[in-house]
Amino acid sequence: MTQPVLEVQDLHTVFATKEGTVKAVDGVSFELNAGETLGVVGESGCGKSVTALSIMRLQRPGRIVSGKVLLKGQDLTRLTEYEMREVRGREIAMIFQDPMTSLNPVYRVGWQVAEPARLHHGWDKKKALQSAVSMLGRVGIPAPESRARDYPHQFSGGMRQRVMIAMGLTTTPEVLIADEPTTALDVTIQAQILDLLRHVNREFGTATILITHNLGVVAGMCKRVVVMYAGRIVEAGPTKDVFAHPTHPYTWSLLRSIPRLDAEQHEPLRPIEGVPPNLVDLPSGCSFHPRCAFKVERCARDVPVLLQVGESQRSACWVTQAGTELKGA
Amino acid sequence: MIGPSRVAELEMPGAGVETAAARPAQSYWNESWERLRDNRLGMAAGVLILVLALIAVLAPVFSAVLTHYEPQTINLDQTFVRPGASHLLGTDELGRDTLTRLIWGARVSLGVAFLTVAMSLSVGTTVGMVAGYYGGWIDDVLMRLVDTVLAIPAIFLFILMSILFRPNAVTLAAIVASVGWGSVARLVRGEVLSVKQRDFILATRSIGARDSRLMVRHLLPNVLPVLIVAASLGVGQIILVEAALDFLGLGIQPPTPSWGNMLTNAQSYFFHSGFLVAFPGITIFVTVLASNIFGNAVRDAFDPRLKSH
Repeated sequence: MTQPVLEVQDLHTVFATKEGTVKAVDGVSFELNAGETLGVVGESGCGKSVTALSIMRLQRPGRIVSGKVLLKGQDLTRLTEYEMREVRGREIAMIFQDPMTSLNPVYRVGWQVAEPARLHHGWDKKKALQSAVSMLGRVGIPAPESRARDYPHQFSGGMRQRVMIAMGLTTTPEVLIADEPTTALDVTIQAQILDLLRHVNREFGTATILITHNLGVVAGMCKRVVVMYAGRIVEAGPTKDVFAHPTHPYTWSLLRSIPRLDAEQHEPLRPIEGVPPNLVDLPSGCSFHPRCAFKVERCARDVPVLLQVGESQRSACWVTQAGTELKGA
Repeated sequence: MIGPSRVAELEMPGAGVETAAARPAQSYWNESWERLRDNRLGMAAGVLILVLALIAVLAPVFSAVLTHYEPQTINLDQTFVRPGASHLLGTDELGRDTLTRLIWGARVSLGVAFLTVAMSLSVGTTVGMVAGYYGGWIDDVLMRLVDTVLAIPAIFLFILMSILFRPNAVTLAAIVASVGWGSVARLVRGEVLSVKQRDFILATRSIGARDSRLMVRHLLPNVLPVLIVAASLGVGQIILVEAALDFLGLGIQPPTPSWGNMLTNAQSYFFHSGFLVAFPGITIFVTVLASNIFGNAVRDAFDPRLKSH
């Protein structure tokens, strides 16, 4: 197997708050292979976005306390701020959740899409703008030549997200991090943007980290998925296997809480009981145990680590690691 | 990398949809400008300021064409001439033409006002942006400095400064600006704190922009509206401060004419030749009023929510 493009190893990011230290990212490890799309799922506040920002070292006011982020073998956490700026936008590009606020309202769209190329390739205004216009066309913006002269408020939400994607691609980065790129968009536009991301992934071979809380998006986009809960990865594996046989009770509950068209009868939806834990004051042992239907005595005592469970998956759960299958109830 | 020739071959999914949704909307600047243009009183005030500024800049031309007098030429045969054909606004105790002196005085009053505003804005904006952007101890240090500056009793500082330096237009502006920048810094810092929370700042950092680029290219244009409002409201205030300093003899010294020091001379002849008090007084009053009306109009144009009805 070739070396992964991006490797996150035991990353810890904390935020100091009045109530105490929040371990927003607590020992996260995963790798991203060239050309693949990796899904990162979990509910709000589980550390998905902070993980993404930590990779870019944009986690301020949070602090990366330990761990490594290896981009083609180079540890980003050790780079100087100056070197890191060269990575941002050139090697790793990022797309944010809300396309309505991610563009600077005072500049023309073409200028903004051209900015990364001007910063990183040192291109002059004209050349960068030309490539921006061509990129806007490639991401499906009609009449890119004239649209480049418009301001962000003249674009719809979906079009703005296309602009953000174009901006990310002008420097042909190795890695694209899409942080909930479709959450703020309505359903039909979501589908178009996901189509575009899939297309970009194929066309440019950009390895993509797709952060979402939408399991359907992951199922359609990603070969591999990691599931996060309370700052940790609780399950990782091929999407197909994870969805078919979840090996962590959290994944299991998540999958049961979404409606299915192919359900045999009218099953009631089953929400996950309880609320996500307070990150300042995590439950002892496994963070998920207070909400878990399968918990055993050990879960409240010891923190489980991510271990191989079954053929292809890894899970951080004492129950499934002991060989129990998650079923029923 | 991406040649235009390749573009044509590529079919992107979803291309061409959504055009209907991308309706043209007006930009913030256009809308503000239209609101300002619709405000007749505000526009009239703005035009008046512009005319006064033009008179100030072209003072030698105006006095030569309009009055044919020099501002400092003494003519003891022609003292206390009432307003009339030979001297449109009369002459003072030394026979100097009042209108000519008012025209030249505009140079001082408006010059000092604009210079002061420019100085307080540039210092205040820099300090406010740095404090707001970096936060932490830098913010603490800079804002305590601002607190200190704003706690200085300005009038005593002005008196002290004008004793130490004989003020000319530039030093006077510097003296007034030395306390004026504090409130600008506060204003800008507050605005930066709110703008920097917006996603596009993070997005711009994510493409690898330097702090300086973020501040100058991305934050500054977004705080510009508050700066413009502060500037247009500031001019009127500073004209008053400057006139007061001149009147007290702490500002521009005679014989250089300024609206303020013309009043100082005139007060001795208040009952004898009231017009000598009235003309500079009215000039100051009208100019400050116009500045305030224009400033308010600009503020209303940029932030319609503030408009009181």
